[in-house]
Amino acid sequence: MTDQLLSELRKMRSTRTNLGLLGGMIALILVFLLTIGLTGTGSDLADHDHQHRLFSIGTQAALFATLIGVMAITSEFRHGTIRSTFVVTPRRSRVIAAKVISSLLMGLMFGALAIGLSFGIGYAMLLARGAHFVLDTNDVLLLVLGTIAMTSLWAVLGVGFGAVIRNQVFAVIALIVWTGVVNPIIDSAVPGAGRYTPIAASASLTADPAEYLLSPLGGGLLLVAYAAVFVAAGNFLVARRDVT
Amino acid sequence: MAIEALPTESPARGARPAAAFPVVQAEHLTKRFGDVLAVDDLSFALERGTVTGFLGPNGAGKTTTLRMLLHLVEPTDGRALVFGGRYGDLERPASRVGAVLEAADFHPGRSGRDHLTALALALGQEHSDGNWFVEREHAASRRVDAVLELVELSAAADRRVGSYSLGMRQRLGLAGALLGDPELLILDEPANGLDPEGVRWLRDFMRSFAAEGKTVLVSSHVLAEVQQSVDQVVIINKGRLVTFEPLARLVTHLSSSVRVRAPGARLLHTELEKQGIRAALMNRDELRIEGTSSAQIGEIAFAAGIPVHELVPEASSLEDVFLELTTEEPS
Repeated sequence: MTDQLLSELRKMRSTRTNLGLLGGMIALILVFLLTIGLTGTGSDLADHDHQHRLFSIGTQAALFATLIGVMAITSEFRHGTIRSTFVVTPRRSRVIAAKVISSLLMGLMFGALAIGLSFGIGYAMLLARGAHFVLDTNDVLLLVLGTIAMTSLWAVLGVGFGAVIRNQVFAVIALIVWTGVVNPIIDSAVPGAGRYTPIAASASLTADPAEYLLSPLGGGLLLVAYAAVFVAAGNFLVARRDVT
Repeated sequence: MAIEALPTESPARGARPAAAFPVVQAEHLTKRFGDVLAVDDLSFALERGTVTGFLGPNGAGKTTTLRMLLHLVEPTDGRALVFGGRYGDLERPASRVGAVLEAADFHPGRSGRDHLTALALALGQEHSDGNWFVEREHAASRRVDAVLELVELSAAADRRVGSYSLGMRQRLGLAGALLGDPELLILDEPANGLDPEGVRWLRDFMRSFAAEGKTVLVSSHVLAEVQQSVDQVVIINKGRLVTFEPLARLVTHLSSSVRVRAPGARLLHTELEKQGIRAALMNRDELRIEGTSSAQIGEIAFAAGIPVHELVPEASSLEDVFLELTTEEPS
């Protein structure tokens, strides 16, 4: 297992894919931070909810973390490297496990960086605009831990999702369709079910407890379950399907 | 040209020490993809130290067979064994079997060295339990340097694979297969896209690999590519075994006929029949004779006092035999 993990970590840092995702994540977070920080009025910025929204921007990293996991597996199918990977390690579940762990580590790093950026730049902007920091320790703790948990879990979910779909383009399109179309439809069409979607479960990780969301712990556990189901399905299918 | 049914028993490997089990063994191997029967009841066994050409036209089932041997494709029926067991059941199988499956199996944005290092790390070492990450990384990097040297790719190792020529990719694939210092090499169409120099390099490589007592199974759809490097051939067509025999025996299927033009063709025909030589009268003054040399025919004609205008040996090439074997006869 250690060998497979080292191999996966080497793969992750030897192409520009994850570097690109990292750059994209930083850029998106900066744009959002600056937009909220600069357009909000002084009284807006002093508001608790507004500050919470500002420091939640780090959760945008979840998208990029998901892509880390999706790319970790679909890029091997796309470029055919999956063949040599499985020839060297015919016990395919070891490969999947190594990809889960390495993606989780990357997701963790992305999440830590994202929340660090949010707080660093967000706090500087509050100071510059003369607003007081009004979040309490619980808020901060929830934001930090929630963001990191969120990115780690989405990265793992991405591996499972990618293993099920295999085709890189289809996987990315399916993600977009899910977040942009299917999830909103579920939200509006099935009252009460909306809080149980992966996206709502994820949102509850950092959110102030709200009626339409689960508790952070409940949402976190639900997201863990989603990730576990996708990884189990991907692992099952990858073991069964021929590699042609 | 008609070729009678060929014997398909295993070739005799007289002088070689008998191994406990064949290095590669297909037993009634069958694979069905939906409606397509890609491999159909294929059986053969390869002994240690042999270089075997795995031949057949495109779509004959060669690639599927090789992938079943490597546990990438699950057989519908029958067994595909290496070293007496299923590939997936071997401990660190890549330390015994090296494979090059496709020339394009690389991430274009990754350097050749990183590609190999990722494989070397996954392969690991024997008795490495408890080794630190750094030790494992070092061991992998030493192994990578060695195979890069072997395939003469050291200079380009840090370039992205996207910038490699096809020949360089083939060699990079080979380097990957050699990481575990294997006893068996499985190569799927390795000569595809190689220039003549590359083909010769590959041929020399396979010969020296086999000279160390190791085994090679190399597929091709062109006999000429491997003719000079293999000592036996497994020929398949439409998923079924056509023949499995030493190259030397395949040569005996070469029809060496002699065409004779002589005004007294009928007379010569009779003379030859007397000697028990079968000859076919093509037309009034032309004979086609199989199974004898032009020298003998000349002597018989001379002894019988028959003038001969032309005496032309017509040998078919191995490629003709191969095509004959793998081309479906119109029925």
